Amino acid sequence: MPNARKTQSTPSAACRDDVSYHRSLAWAGLELSVNLEGCLMTLRADHVTGAFFIGFGVLVLALSGDLPTGNLSMPGSGFMPKIVAVLTIFFGVVLAVRAGESKIFATLSWNDAKHAGLVVGITAAAVALFEWLGFLATNALLILTLLVVIERRPLLPAAVYSIGVVAITYVLFVYILKTPLQAGPLGF
Amino acid sequence: MESTILSLAHGFSVALAPANAWYAFLGCLVGTLVGVLPGIGPLAGISILLPVTFGLNATQAIIMLAGIYYGSQYGGSTTSILMRIPGEASSVMTCIDGYAMAKKGRAGAALCIAAVGSWVGGTVGVLVLTVVAPPLAQIAVSFGPPEYTALLVLGLIFLAYMSSSSLIRTLLMACLGLLLGMIGIDNMTGHFRYSFDLAELGDGIGIVPVAVGLFGLGEILSTPSSGAVKDIVSPRLRDLLPTGKEWNEAALPIARGTVLGFIIGIIPGSAHIISSFLSYAIERRVSKHPKEFGKGAVAGVAGPETANNAASTGAFVPLLALGIPTSPITAVLIGALMIHGVSVGPMLVNEHPDVFWGFVASMYVGNLMLLVLNLPLVSLFVTVLRIPYAYLYPLIIMFCIIGVYEVNNSIVDVWIMLIMGVVGYALRKFDFDPAPLVLGLVIAPILEQSLRQSLIMSNGNYLIFFSRPISLGLMLVSIGLLALAANAFVLKRADWRARLAEAETGETER
Repeated sequence: MPNARKTQSTPSAACRDDVSYHRSLAWAGLELSVNLEGCLMTLRADHVTGAFFIGFGVLVLALSGDLPTGNLSMPGSGFMPKIVAVLTIFFGVVLAVRAGESKIFATLSWNDAKHAGLVVGITAAAVALFEWLGFLATNALLILTLLVVIERRPLLPAAVYSIGVVAITYVLFVYILKTPLQAGPLGF
Repeated sequence: MESTILSLAHGFSVALAPANAWYAFLGCLVGTLVGVLPGIGPLAGISILLPVTFGLNATQAIIMLAGIYYGSQYGGSTTSILMRIPGEASSVMTCIDGYAMAKKGRAGAALCIAAVGSWVGGTVGVLVLTVVAPPLAQIAVSFGPPEYTALLVLGLIFLAYMSSSSLIRTLLMACLGLLLGMIGIDNMTGHFRYSFDLAELGDGIGIVPVAVGLFGLGEILSTPSSGAVKDIVSPRLRDLLPTGKEWNEAALPIARGTVLGFIIGIIPGSAHIISSFLSYAIERRVSKHPKEFGKGAVAGVAGPETANNAASTGAFVPLLALGIPTSPITAVLIGALMIHGVSVGPMLVNEHPDVFWGFVASMYVGNLMLLVLNLPLVSLFVTVLRIPYAYLYPLIIMFCIIGVYEVNNSIVDVWIMLIMGVVGYALRKFDFDPAPLVLGLVIAPILEQSLRQSLIMSNGNYLIFFSRPISLGLMLVSIGLLALAANAFVLKRADWRARLAEAETGETER
């Protein structure tokens, strides 16, 4: 596959093939050493991050519209945010312009994204339930779900572990360190 | 000088009170564990455990939290040497030669040298802190807004300059942090800024949710349990003592690391990380056998480990004397003291001598405790690493939630922590260091207020920063650093920082 470019007549097709090939390698978590010279336009990591920071800076400026800038002798509440937003845009542009030194975007490894997504989703559910169910129930469920759903651990040991560590933590905080924890519907 | 000695004696009477000594021990123990465990650094550790100190008095709280801080510097070396995994960022350089020594059967000697170096760096650092901080606090009383502005600008520029990865990336992170730090009510005019009608954002975004999200949760998201490494070299107790040759090779690097670490620690930025990188570079440069670096050079362990501990102590100088947080960690410590009604700054030494001197004296005691803890109990700490990561990280997530929620009893803070976890994950993907972001967040309110006050004082004249001797000196140093960085950046010339980064990359990938 790395020789595909030699057999392709158009550089853009070669780029497309190489990029999809290397993206599949990246998903498989393999180390990459690629050379995509000759591509018409190679999207690099810093093109993406540079564009993000430019957009973020513009967004801050837009949101700062109603904040008074004041003047040099009496700076207003919008004075400093606008300066920093302009600096962010400037540095974003520099980053994007010098993106040639960064990795090719398609070759970034995202093989841990599924793990990250699941952890975020389960933790978000726990955060949403935290004030309703309280510390004990929410965290026992959180740890149990992480162990069973993500780590594929057997249910019984995972349940014993999750209830055990949450109970020990509760005793440690509430009775030894005298730090109250969020109570649930049953008062604990 | 006599009054300093008398005050220090009073500090020892406070630090050696059984309750205070117990909290110093507890802090050192927890800190060592925090340093040993990959994925939970000192910042996340301190932030998570902040609520635990709510039931303590101010002296006990700062003694315990500082113990966690410098304890983690000690603990970080254990995983670096035995597993080639830096427990926290400042131990990255120790991985290179520490693990190589372990592979050659000298794991015990490497651990001993790291522990002794850390102790020397920490203790000498405290000695200098004892002498320097009180007079500096007297000078700091004369600091006005222009001086504070110039000092904070220097801190940001120094951090960007010292970053071996990229000047622009560091500055972008700092800008992002500054913008986050401006969310909430403007102290000078009362305007709500970027709070989107959320009352919880009126007070701004806290350091704890951001720090725990970026460094705690972000690290977990980037580390699937299948990728956790478990190749641990177990040292034997009888092999702990280094040979005479190894002591000789370690002596000068320890001395250099102490001086270098303390000086860098005083300057705002991620001092303990930068100091260990610089120390490694210097040791390799001055070594008669530079080719041994990467293959188990004693100096490659002694220098960086000493420097990061000395820097941790040095970072307390601006904290105690000026009330300026030079790193996210010291910012959390300031927050902890403020929760207990103690304002940090030039007046601390006079208004709260128990807190100031008790804290300083506890650092002598704590460093000794760490030496005792880290050598004989190293096997015990290694046992913690045998807990499967799959069981460990759910526990860390739980502590992240408790730690963030308990500070303000705010679920919005926990959501911010979760969002910051995702941001931290993305930043790692795109090779951004999140530390400058947290530093920007920390200094944003002080920087903005002092800049605006300076301009009001001078009726809008920027030359105020160049018309007062202290701020002039600080601004000139900033301009000099910017000129050096710009020279290398524009001409794409590989200066010493780029060469150091290349060498580090090559060696850590080896």
